[in-house]
Order: sequence, then structure tokens, then C-alpha cells
Amino acid sequence: MRRRVLWGLFASAFSVALAPVLVASGTSPRASGAVGNGPGPAGDGERFDETYRGRRIAGVRYDAGRPGEDGRSAWHVTVDGRPLHLMRRADGSWMSMVDHYQSYATPLAAARAAVDELGPDARLVTPGEGDSRMEDSRTANGNGHAEGEHRRGVHA
Amino acid sequence: MVYTRKDVSTLTRSERRRLVNALLELKRRGEYDEFVRMHIEYYTPDGEGGLRAAHMAPSFLPWHRKFLLDLENALRRVDESVTLPYWDWTRNRTRTAVPWTDDLLGGTGRRSDRQVMSGPFAHRNGKWTIRVGVTDTKFLTRELGRPRDPIALPVAKDLEGALNDPVYDAAPWHSGSTKGFRNKIEGWGPGRGPASWRTHNRVHRWVGGHMMGGASVNDPVFWMHHAFVDLLWLRWQRRHRGARYLPAKPLARGDAQRGRVVARNQKMPPWDVTPAQLEDQSHIYRYA
Repeated sequence: MRRRVLWGLFASAFSVALAPVLVASGTSPRASGAVGNGPGPAGDGERFDETYRGRRIAGVRYDAGRPGEDGRSAWHVTVDGRPLHLMRRADGSWMSMVDHYQSYATPLAAARAAVDELGPDARLVTPGEGDSRMEDSRTANGNGHAEGEHRRGVHA
Repeated sequence: MVYTRKDVSTLTRSERRRLVNALLELKRRGEYDEFVRMHIEYYTPDGEGGLRAAHMAPSFLPWHRKFLLDLENALRRVDESVTLPYWDWTRNRTRTAVPWTDDLLGGTGRRSDRQVMSGPFAHRNGKWTIRVGVTDTKFLTRELGRPRDPIALPVAKDLEGALNDPVYDAAPWHSGSTKGFRNKIEGWGPGRGPASWRTHNRVHRWVGGHMMGGASVNDPVFWMHHAFVDLLWLRWQRRHRGARYLPAKPLARGDAQRGRVVARNQKMPPWDVTPAQLEDQSHIYRYA
């Protein structure tokens, strides 16, 4: 339930993130309203929201304390409003699909590293955006399979 | 008929042309992008749940061996003279060395957006549009050597520690394994930053651009890099006669990695093949 609520909150932040006036301000805008209601400094452990190299990066921890989990957190992170899929390493560090052969101590560090790799123009692909996604789980030899079917932001 | 995989720096002009043409033809047919898709799908890190077959796991080596064989078979259906060459990055170490020539893979990306501007895989030459990726970039990107903060390719000495390890892999069977050939070659070092990027991982970092991400297969150097990693596995086997893939059997009940890594005689998804069946491929190909 908490997860659903936070996702809802995030959707609000999402629309704010797209507001050009905020992006153009060049400061480190923090989403006012739902998510911005008294957040701590960027990377405080619950959320972050900053402009890094001209990109708006925002993250919300969304599953802390979810029943049945091992207590490890998961984050929903966006770059310019587009989801950045983050994954965990066994040592607790974070990696993204953009920067996949090294990992970082925090989601914020992983998000900044992703921006470094994106360069000036590339945008993350948003799942479900037109045909910009991995449509199915076909593999190189045509077999279907059960493992590893992560539907990620992949354009195809 | 056993075929030979050659050092890419030894290919003749004709061999280079035929290799490039076969890659472009697979791309044209859409077959190439299926390999890109598959690599993205199977990149499950070890902090996530579920079975890991391709990375941060013992089957890193046999998974990529099979992946390379599938691509090579596809290339050979286009042109049966083609085999996958390997890039020995301990020898061809500069940004202008093979395979970064205009008759093979083209050069590094331009500074502004890292777009590869030369060679057959440059987007502007019309035959290599990125269709499966994690960004909307349509052109192949590279940043050889990362000029903004230079790093170096691994040297032969860096490989010795891995090749000298007599054990294939060891608990905890993931990116934190400090013993065993597999992780020493895959290259997950302790800590953060450049010192922690080793061997295989460091080469992905050195090439940069697409090679940094889950969609690294978009850069054809992926295959030449992994063919060299595959050759290193063979060299390790020769150095330690009788040493086998580990774990030999499924991990015991209670082991945190039980069900998350592939044992020697378990099938490795998505294929109907086990690591044991891939350990010796001398009846299919050899390395020159």
C-alpha cells in the first residue's frame, strides 16, 4: 500500500519535473508540493532531487519496510523525468542500465554516473512510449524462457 | 571441420571486408538486434533475486561462449568463411590500433556526443542504426580511453593473477568472489572507482559509450573483446590441466546462492546446454 501511495506521489513529482521553468532555472530545484514537502538535502536516504550537468535527477525510496522483504531499499529514479532502472549488487552498491560495468555507493551517485554517460543529448527511453520498449522476450535463438525477463526501458 | 579464430590484427584485407559485410548483413536482417536484446535481458546483478546466468556468476564464461557461438553461426550462415576474431587488448592498446581502423570497426566517438564518425558502423554511413538500447540514441557511441579522465587497458601482468589461480570460481559465487579465475577475469574488484575496474570490466570502461551499458552488444567490438576473454579461459584450462567449472553440483540447502547460480551439469538459460558441455569446444573452433 505504501508503495502505491509513494508511486502516486512520484507521479506528481514527475509532472513537476517536466516543467521547463524549473529545469531552466539552473539551480537545484526541489519538487514543491507532494514530494517536496520538507525533504532533507539531496541524497538524505529517502529522496533526492537536483540538477546535475543540466539534467534533472530525482529519486524516491519506495519500499522501505515492505513486509516480507529483507529490509533493503529500492528506489525509483528519473533523469529529466524518464525512469532510470537501478539494480543492486550483492555488496549493496547500485548500478544502472546506462553504466553497467561498475557500481556506486548510493542511488544518487549511480544517477549522476548515468548522466555522465548519457552525454549532452541522449534521453533515457521510457517503457511503453510508442514502440520504445522491449516488446517481448524473444531471444537470439528464438527460444522463450522464464528467467531474466525484466521489462526495462529498452527501445526496440 | 574445426575452424580458426584469429587475432584481429592478423586478418587480411579480404577477411576484414567479409567480416564487416557479414555483420552488416545480420544487422540488415534484424538478427543482430536480437543478440543486443538478449544480452540486456540476461544482465541480472547479484543484488537482485533470481538466477544469474550471464554476469556476476560462475557461468559468465560459458554463457558468453555460447552467446559468441550463436553469433558466429549466424555470421557463418551469411558467409561461411567468416569466424570471430579476437582483440588482444594487452597488445593492441592505442586508440588508433586495430580494431579501430576504418576497414574494421572505425574509430572513437567525436567529443561533443561521442558519436562514431568513421568506418562501417558509423551511423552516417547508413548501415548501423541503434534500435535496441536503453537510450534514444540512434548512433553508435565510443569514448576510447576516456580522454576526459584517462584510464588504461589492462596489461598482460594484470591477467597473470587470474591465469595463475588454480580454482575456477569460489564462494560466494558472485561479484564479491575474491578467489577464482572467473571473477578475476570478469573483473569486479573491491571498492569503488578506477582501481575496482579490472580485466573484462575495465575494457568495457575503456571503450566507453555503448560498451558501458546493458546494450553493449551494439558495438561489434563486444564480440572481439569476448572472444579474447574466451581465449583466456582456454589458456587457464591449459595451465591447470584437469581443473573444471565450479560449482560442480547445485549448492546446498541454506546457501544464499542456491538456485541463483548454474552448477556444472545444470542447464544454462536460455539454452538447453550445460557449462560442462561448453568446457571443451576444440571440436568446433580453435584459436590462432
